[in-house]
Amino acid sequence: MKYVRKTDIIKSERSFGPLVKRGTMTLAITLSAMTMGISAAHAAGTIAGTDILNTAQATYDGPGGPVVIDSNTVTITVDELLDVTVASSDPGDVAVDSGATQQVTTYQVTNTGNGNEAFTLTADTAKGGDDFDTSNAVIYLDTDDNGVFDAGVDTIYSPGSNDPDLAPDSSINVFILSDIPAGATDGQRAEVELSAVAITGSGAPGTSFAGQGDGGGDAVVGSTGADGEDSSFFLIQAAQVALVKSATIVDQFGGNEAVPGATITYQLVATVTGSGSLTNLNVNDDIPADTTYTAESITLEGAGLTDSDADADAGLFDGSAIAVSLGTVPGGQTRTITFQVTID
Amino acid sequence: MKINILKHLAIFAALAIPGMAMAANNVTLSSDVFVERTVEKPNGTTAVMLEAPETVIPGDNLVFVVKYKNVGSTPATDFSVTNPLPKAVAFNGTSDGTEIVSVDGGKKWGSLSALTYTRANGEVRPALMSDVTHIKWKFNRSLSVGSEGKLVFRGTVR
Repeated sequence: MKYVRKTDIIKSERSFGPLVKRGTMTLAITLSAMTMGISAAHAAGTIAGTDILNTAQATYDGPGGPVVIDSNTVTITVDELLDVTVASSDPGDVAVDSGATQQVTTYQVTNTGNGNEAFTLTADTAKGGDDFDTSNAVIYLDTDDNGVFDAGVDTIYSPGSNDPDLAPDSSINVFILSDIPAGATDGQRAEVELSAVAITGSGAPGTSFAGQGDGGGDAVVGSTGADGEDSSFFLIQAAQVALVKSATIVDQFGGNEAVPGATITYQLVATVTGSGSLTNLNVNDDIPADTTYTAESITLEGAGLTDSDADADAGLFDGSAIAVSLGTVPGGQTRTITFQVTID
Repeated sequence: MKINILKHLAIFAALAIPGMAMAANNVTLSSDVFVERTVEKPNGTTAVMLEAPETVIPGDNLVFVVKYKNVGSTPATDFSVTNPLPKAVAFNGTSDGTEIVSVDGGKKWGSLSALTYTRANGEVRPALMSDVTHIKWKFNRSLSVGSEGKLVFRGTVR
């Protein structure tokens, strides 16, 4: 005995319109069942509004030959499960300078429920347990969905007017831009939290909102409480440079007298402190009056540099001053420069 | 108009195969689905109750009950009951383990441990409960007049 009748049907009112009566449109029913089967494999579970129809079938041989009978069909509708997660997309602390404005932290909001749902977003910069609070927080939605904040492209979030409406299992990137206080000091951290709450409702898992579910059933709060939040952190990474200059005199008679003809070796030590780095650090020094620069005498960390500005090395002499480009110097490191002049 | 046609067909069938129309009605089959709900009792303990739900959420545990009875006047031989599993439900076992299942829409049948599942990429692995598409009970004896019983299986809303 072969069974060719399809006795289980799953349909989604949202996707496929009102329930199609079995037998009248067999092909349409089969297609919808297949489509729903794919959706059902998602993490969010069976899509809200899906009807689960169950019918058993019996076969036997009666006196007149084989008989097939169907049971009644039991129909159960899948309710909307309200679930959301928020995850910081920043790989670690976001390094900033004190006083910097519109600094970006990045988050991803995911609808882990099984129905379409809109979410209210809130930024909290006043979390306890951190070292300082940022100000002027503004939430932006990643309009072009590239995961990076683009000024002028990504749109400002305004609660109640453009709450992100997410399909089951889909996500949106969200940015919070806020200002770093000028008084924040090196090494201090600030927590910036984004929370997302299902607009239909939130609360203890299992809380039910009658008739408000996507697809016409109830909406039931899932294990996340329909309320998700996560934090990113700003870290102040400041750096300062201190420059110490010293001079050593060697005269032509073997002594250390500052007489005409004596050679003065100047030493410049640049010391960078703090947890950050200084970028594009340059050291310049004018040749003192009544002295003459000794050609090709610049050294950096003991290695000679040329006077030419045209070559690739870091040193130059422009006729009145020497200059050395140190590039990026991280906190905790020093750079030592020397050059020589003779007293006129 | 439609009803008339059906009547004519029925009469025709009855004439062609005497007894057929009677035989078609001598076994009844009914299906019930219950959901397990955890209920908190007044004394603080919790109990799992079975309710007949109108709605469920993913993760709910369902209990399917199929009842059969021979209400006719002749035994039903070669009696079997098949329950195709709704796509949104993952099979979670039967109470007696006497069923055979199919994981390919009813083509091949056997005990779950004897079946394999072919994935979309062609890989073959042992079949899992979540692969089951159909459940069937085959009765090796005929269903005598007046005898009845029920078949129970469990599933989880995907």
